[in-house]
Amino acid sequence: MNGGFRSVHPSVALLYYAGLLLFAMLLFHPLYLLTELTAVAILLLLQGQGRPLLRGLPFYLLMAGSVAVLNPLFSHRGSHILFYFLDQPITLEAILYGLMMMVVLLTLFIVFISYNYTVTTDKFMYLFAAAAPKSALLTLMAIRFVPLFQRRLHQITLIQRIRGIDVGTGNLRKRMRDGMTLLKVLLTWSLEEALQTADSMKARGFGLRKRSAYAIYKLDRRDVALLAILAVCGLIVLGGWLQGYGKIEIYPRMKPVQFGGGEATCFIGFCLFALTPLWLEGREKWLWRSSQRNVYLSATPIKTGPHLMSSRSR
Amino acid sequence: MNEGEFVVLLGPSGCGKTTLLRHLKRELTPVGTTAGVIRYKGQLLSELPAESAAGEIGMVFQNPDAQIVMDTVWHELAFAMENMGLEPAVMRSRLAEISGLFGLEPLLYRSVHELSGGQKQLLNLASVLLLQPKLLLLDEPTSQLDPVAAREFIQILHRLNQEMSMTIIISEHRLEEVLPLADRVLLLTGGQLRAEGTPRDMVRRVGEEQLWPHLAYLPAAARLFLALSPDIDRAAEAPVPLTVRDGKRWLQETLPHLAALERNNGKAATGAQEAGPHTQPEAAVMSCREVTFRYRKDGPEVLKKLSLSLYPGELLMLMGGNGAGKSTLLQLLAGLAKPQRGKVEMNKGLTAGYLAQNPLLYFSQDTVQEELEHMAHYAGMTEQTAREEIAALLGVFQLREVLQSHPQDISGGQQQQTALAMVLLLKPDILLLDEPTKGLDPGAKEKLAALLQLLRDRGMSILIVTHDVEFAASYATRCAMLFDGGITAESPPERFFGANFFYTTAVNRMVRDWLPEALTVEEVARTWSNSVSRS
Repeated sequence: MNGGFRSVHPSVALLYYAGLLLFAMLLFHPLYLLTELTAVAILLLLQGQGRPLLRGLPFYLLMAGSVAVLNPLFSHRGSHILFYFLDQPITLEAILYGLMMMVVLLTLFIVFISYNYTVTTDKFMYLFAAAAPKSALLTLMAIRFVPLFQRRLHQITLIQRIRGIDVGTGNLRKRMRDGMTLLKVLLTWSLEEALQTADSMKARGFGLRKRSAYAIYKLDRRDVALLAILAVCGLIVLGGWLQGYGKIEIYPRMKPVQFGGGEATCFIGFCLFALTPLWLEGREKWLWRSSQRNVYLSATPIKTGPHLMSSRSR
Repeated sequence: MNEGEFVVLLGPSGCGKTTLLRHLKRELTPVGTTAGVIRYKGQLLSELPAESAAGEIGMVFQNPDAQIVMDTVWHELAFAMENMGLEPAVMRSRLAEISGLFGLEPLLYRSVHELSGGQKQLLNLASVLLLQPKLLLLDEPTSQLDPVAAREFIQILHRLNQEMSMTIIISEHRLEEVLPLADRVLLLTGGQLRAEGTPRDMVRRVGEEQLWPHLAYLPAAARLFLALSPDIDRAAEAPVPLTVRDGKRWLQETLPHLAALERNNGKAATGAQEAGPHTQPEAAVMSCREVTFRYRKDGPEVLKKLSLSLYPGELLMLMGGNGAGKSTLLQLLAGLAKPQRGKVEMNKGLTAGYLAQNPLLYFSQDTVQEELEHMAHYAGMTEQTAREEIAALLGVFQLREVLQSHPQDISGGQQQQTALAMVLLLKPDILLLDEPTKGLDPGAKEKLAALLQLLRDRGMSILIVTHDVEFAASYATRCAMLFDGGITAESPPERFFGANFFYTTAVNRMVRDWLPEALTVEEVARTWSNSVSRS
């Protein structure tokens, strides 16, 4: 499951998602937002993540949909009043703004789903460690404790029930006291073990000198090229944004949307940025499909002409 | 200590083995008053540069879990090298080397908690070896491992010693495998060096100098040798056998009475069979019928239609490989989990007490005394009976001197006994113990066995889950084997182990050609003296 976009260096993936996140918040323009939404959704589908996406969809739609509904109810800015609801004016601008907010939220949600799938915790920690080795080490050790403590607490709960310390029975006061006791057992045990961990770290020379970082990911030429493409496209979009492209104005009065040459450059840059992983993923799909179709000839091509052995013996 | 030596430290728990090893590793030198000097390559250990002290002297500890810092295998391996600030290219090649040597490659991207105890300990060793140490210190590294994993671990140490000429100092309780590999053995008692020599010398000296309490540390072959050979033989400088192979050869060569022994035993064996199978259809105190258990809905079946009965007053030892579901079965019997199918039945009015592998799980108070009192209170005793009951238990378990200590501060054996005393305060009729011999020295094991006998005399039925073949062979009344989710064999120890070829005691493997049902040195010695007196 590590082909396509997941096989790129973590820094490429991080740049991509950081860019998407930034653009989703900066570019308040339906065309850009819908392009981004579609691009990430297709990426997820290509990666075979349709099912988790579908499972979460009702929740996301509810969240985002409620924004779309609530915004016109609370915001009464804008000049086109459509009708009155409970004596409150409902404006066209507020409805459009709500819809836009809905798209922004949906985009953010879907970007996060994709991010979680592509940039796993260890990839992120790998990048983080390169930037801040000490804090990264600390974070890693802390992260490891969460599932560890969960497993231990489960064991402790099971055993302490034998001696009547159980959060499932008794009145509230007793339950709370028992809960604290269980936590105390967990802490004493874990602290005691932490002493041994500290010994083991010291025995292996922790803190003697500046730590280096072991690299499991290699930045290859494709990754460098991707980084360059993403950076250039991102800069084009940012430049466009500074020039005032990629924004529509709704409040206080909707302005007609214009699509000129500058806007087109900005949008093309944005498309290139958002669609790059799709290209990678699509090529991966194509690669495997075509490799199935291929009929391999004998690996050693047959050469015509006099044979090596016979020619020498001559 | 010379370069390339393989030194074994032995002695009872608390004799100073760990303290000695820690003194040899500068970073871990205990706080306290120290006298005397330690030199490493002619240099005072305290004057060694910090990096060579960390890198050239590696240490592996007892508890496989506590030593691990990172959460994935590759990161844990890289940890030591990262500390030393090595170049990525150097790290990569060293990692490749060590993965090849230890076969860690398939595990490289696994999460650490998925590994078995043996794999974890191997990982710890590998992580230390990545700094390319010259001296390796190991503090009871196999005490928490099952016998198979322990043997593998020790084989790797042997290879390191033989192939890399690495100096190894190891402290151990389980000497069956280590002693034949050792160049030198040091016996520590009470913080002092009691004896020193090659393994064969040590066996002789234990035999001659009445160091009898340490007899239990010796491998089975050596103990058999000491028990069977007359004094003249011992003086005659016969090579002391240390392994099963040598032991068997020695038996073949030096015992002219073997034929008589064999004939004699033939009678004894038929006699034993006439006495009838132990499993008379008595009413079982506890039984499970066709129990099937899974941890998760889509998980694998840990137990498959398993049936097992426990009869009154017996000591049933349940054996089986790692992850065979032994602990799970015990939890089901204790009522801590419910099987999806099948039934666990107990006679009316009886209760079961369960002692988990890790005694730390039982403690929640600040002193041993408070623990016991809390438990007595929960059991619904009046203060008077509680005091009497606790006093009686303290006497039996010899826990008086640690009564005011924190449960975390006492030794592993004492922790286990405290936990067991707590379970006993509930007055169970059936006792379920999970690996009670793990990490215990031979002395503590004998104490435990005596205790179990005492409890059985009081009418308790005991079920023990264990890896310890020798312990089961010596003390069980019945043995059972758990494999592939079911009970595959179930009989008294003599027949259980007699029928096994590999999974049996070292003594049995030596004498099985003549005495197929003899499991312990004592049994062989008894048969032997019988045959001598008759002939």
